[in-house]
Amino acid sequence: MKNKPWYPIAYMFAVTLFFSSIIIGLSALTRDRVEANQKLAFEKAVLDVLPIEVPAQASNLELHDLYVKLIQDPTPSSGSAYIYKIGNEIKGYALPISGKGFWDEISGVVGIAPDKKTITGISFYKQNETPGLGAEIAQLPFREQFVGKTIAKTGAPFNIKPVSEQTDDNSVHAVTGATQTSIRLEKFLLEQLEIWRKAMM
Amino acid sequence: MASEASTRTIMVKGLWKDNPIFRQVLGICSTLAVTNLVLNTMVMCIALVFTTALSSFTVSLLRNHTPRRIRMMVQTLIIAFYVILVDIGLKAFWPEMSENLGPYVGLIITNCIVMGRCEAFAGSNSPVPSFIDGFYSGVGYSFILVIIAFFRELLGMGTLFGYPMPFFSTIWDKWIIMVMPPGAFFALALVIWLFRTISADSEEDSK
Repeated sequence: MKNKPWYPIAYMFAVTLFFSSIIIGLSALTRDRVEANQKLAFEKAVLDVLPIEVPAQASNLELHDLYVKLIQDPTPSSGSAYIYKIGNEIKGYALPISGKGFWDEISGVVGIAPDKKTITGISFYKQNETPGLGAEIAQLPFREQFVGKTIAKTGAPFNIKPVSEQTDDNSVHAVTGATQTSIRLEKFLLEQLEIWRKAMM
Repeated sequence: MASEASTRTIMVKGLWKDNPIFRQVLGICSTLAVTNLVLNTMVMCIALVFTTALSSFTVSLLRNHTPRRIRMMVQTLIIAFYVILVDIGLKAFWPEMSENLGPYVGLIITNCIVMGRCEAFAGSNSPVPSFIDGFYSGVGYSFILVIIAFFRELLGMGTLFGYPMPFFSTIWDKWIIMVMPPGAFFALALVIWLFRTISADSEEDSK
């Protein structure tokens, strides 16, 4: 049988069918879990950028419940930002931002106070920048700079400046040595904040 | 290759005499890519040991039925199968790590060590020795990677497993280049040099 011309084809077909079936089965079984993980990473980032007290040891389920309780999906009047509401009072906005980084797509969230201009935080839930350099944008020292800064009313809404320049109310310092990440982050952050500013002001 | 080698010989070969990294210089792409943090490296290594051991085992199981001409297609399929299992597992149960390793888990499929072992050993030996061979080749690869990652993370970021180390995170002026691609080349070259020197000495002693 092994010498028959059809044998290799039949063999390859059978082997592929066998292994593929297992893979397809397993990925179907874990699909919900994978999707939930991706959603949770986003929800964590949203809770992180808004002035919300999150218990330090909160489980994933507790975080998700907290998110469902406090955060509402974007409406036309919120300029595609998620809304943090207690009762009828708006307590803040969480604006999703994303764009091309140096290596891969960067996705994050900017928290904005009800005054529509003060930044309450920034967080990145997806990035693949160089560890130790570009990836520092996801670390506290870089992100903390944004807290309390404001989106400018005119001109560029925000700036990321080299460390050699002074920062003001509308800018932060870039990560030294991560020029490309900083330039690209600034580009899409600016574009998307500008769209938001137009929609909200 | 026809006679079945003992477990001990297989082990010594995989770990030292035919070490995938400093002897055969195989699987260098992933060595360069994932060694900037020790934790990422270790997960990558476990994934690789799992893949080499089980693909060698499976290739060997099927070796008498697989037509020679399409054996490499079958090997690639089997390797891809195990790598996708790892990928699905990480995505579902350790999403942060899956995010950190990015495309490199998938790239284990193209890691020359895995197919190298399937071709050189599993294709002509029975399943259990093949499993052992794949396992120790994976471990041989892993220990070199962990050594490289240890120095890259410590010198480049001043941390180990993400925890700041005394002296290195404070007084030490971090060598940022160590966590960048060039640092990987330097570290790998130094490690190969060091280990080749040691193994050359031990060969001369045994003569």
